Amino acid sequence: MPAKLVVTDLTHHYPDEYTGESVHALEKINLEVNEGELVTVVGPSGCGKSTLLNILAGLLPYREGNASMDGVKIQGPSSERGVVFQEQAILPWRSVAKNIGHGLELKGVPRGEREKRVSEFIKLVGLVGFEDKFPHELSGGMKQRCAVARTLCADPAVMLMDEPFAAVDAQTRITLQEELNRIAIATKKTILFITHSVDEAAFLGDRCFVFTARPGRLREIVNIDIPREKRIWADMNNDPRFIEARDKIMRLVREEVLVSNA
Amino acid sequence: MNILQSISIGVQRRFGRQRLRKIFLGSIPFAVIIFAWFMNGYMGWFPPVFIPPIGEVWASFFLLQEDCPGIGAIVALDQRCLMSTHILSSLSRVILAAVIGLPAGIALGIVAGMSRPISKFLEPIGIFANSISGIAWIPLAIVWFGVGWKTTLFILLNTIFWLLFFNSMMCVRTVSRVYEQSVLTMGGSRWAVIRDVFLPGAMPSIITGIRLALGFGWRALIAAEMVGGDSGLGFMIFSSAAEFRMEEVFLGVIIISLIFLATDRYLLAPLEKWTILRWGLIWKPT
Ligand SMILES: Nc1ncnc2c1ncn2[C@@H]1O[C@H](COP(=O)(O)OP(=O)(O)O)[C@@H](O)[C@H]1O
Ligand SMILES: [Mg+2]
Repeated sequence: MPAKLVVTDLTHHYPDEYTGESVHALEKINLEVNEGELVTVVGPSGCGKSTLLNILAGLLPYREGNASMDGVKIQGPSSERGVVFQEQAILPWRSVAKNIGHGLELKGVPRGEREKRVSEFIKLVGLVGFEDKFPHELSGGMKQRCAVARTLCADPAVMLMDEPFAAVDAQTRITLQEELNRIAIATKKTILFITHSVDEAAFLGDRCFVFTARPGRLREIVNIDIPREKRIWADMNNDPRFIEARDKIMRLVREEVLVSNA
Repeated sequence: MNILQSISIGVQRRFGRQRLRKIFLGSIPFAVIIFAWFMNGYMGWFPPVFIPPIGEVWASFFLLQEDCPGIGAIVALDQRCLMSTHILSSLSRVILAAVIGLPAGIALGIVAGMSRPISKFLEPIGIFANSISGIAWIPLAIVWFGVGWKTTLFILLNTIFWLLFFNSMMCVRTVSRVYEQSVLTMGGSRWAVIRDVFLPGAMPSIITGIRLALGFGWRALIAAEMVGGDSGLGFMIFSSAAEFRMEEVFLGVIIISLIFLATDRYLLAPLEKWTILRWGLIWKPT
């Protein structure tokens, strides 16, 4: 399988204009994400996961190392790389339907076609009946679904997701994870999914990248060989492949968290 | 059920209980003032030179309009239709200044808020211009434009534009960057970011800015008309006071307030209701 995203020797420092000391966020990251693959990224909080995502999205300029998509250096944002942000990025002044159709609107897709696609995505994420509501009228889980649909509907080749389900309750999160799995099967998109939940990382990932404490380095890659169709929470706790992967990721993350707290 | 009850229920159905309550509560302070004013007529607490009787103020409205030949003359701002001419000339100046000053201030403010070079270019002159209150320009404006509508328009524009410019510029910077990034990562252009993110995102401040600008604008206009105008409500108040026609002074003040109240009620409140309140950017007190 060809690599969709390639990161080589990526290092990043944030300057601090008040203290003059820079924050060393990433150190020589090397990784690849293959076409149609869903990879998860875990690591202690503050280790540079969002930094990596912002660089891949083209939102954060970088100097050291390289990040490319389809062999082309990433130098700015593009509709080819959709982002589901850590803070909910659905626009408060657009209704659910208009948020979801925003990407198509920006591409100049005609209204009729747009409405058809939007209603498909509204069904896909279970927001039927809420098309004309505004974000402040939705629950946390619904906002999150809306955010995912907003990015999906713009039809990017790559989805970059930054802890998208962190802020919702446990029940909703499980549903959203299974939904995302279905979406991954249905759309075959390349997805980079950041999380701090080990269960989530093992459940969703074809592979899981475990990062070290700051400055973030790639500590280990854990393979999770469970067919997508078999990934249902009800079966997971009896699946030795899942348990093995989860325990391994858990052990690695624990070690790194201990380092970062030391 | 008696007839009074059913009328009361009918009225409540028609206009809405909440709204009636709001109107009722809001009217109480006015009712108190009007009552006190009325009582002053009977009790003679203050002589009529200070506070003219309510009836005289009411009558002066019609007296000023007495010689008016008709609608055509009203529209033509004929000097015989004194009352309507004063009202319309003030009003048209405010509208003209608002139509030019509000969009220009908002647009340049947003652009300056987004772009560092442009804000570097415009911010110092903006701070400089804002430090001088609108009315301080009056003497200079009279020298430049003479007594008349040009001076009043200049004063108004100067006040409205800079207020909106500042409010919009500052508010753009409080709009969460993640919204901008979201539009950029969906292939949006700079223009799309302005239209879909910064303009609606800055709306709370823009509406506050419009409120402030119209408030300060009216005040500046009245002052400008007093000193450097030849018509308008400010001119009317000033020239009537010079001749001790207090009922006309009162009338002018009341009309200004009523126009202002109406603007807030029928322009700004609906704008607020259908934008920032609808979007949940502000909340309604309970
Ligand atoms: N805009 C920024 N300016 C300065 N420092 C930042 C900025 N964003 C993140 N950092 C710092 O970089 C480090 C990595 O941050 P981040 O990538 O957000 O971590 P994570 O997403 O893994 O929790 C943190 O120590 C954080 O304080
Ligand atoms: Mg983060």
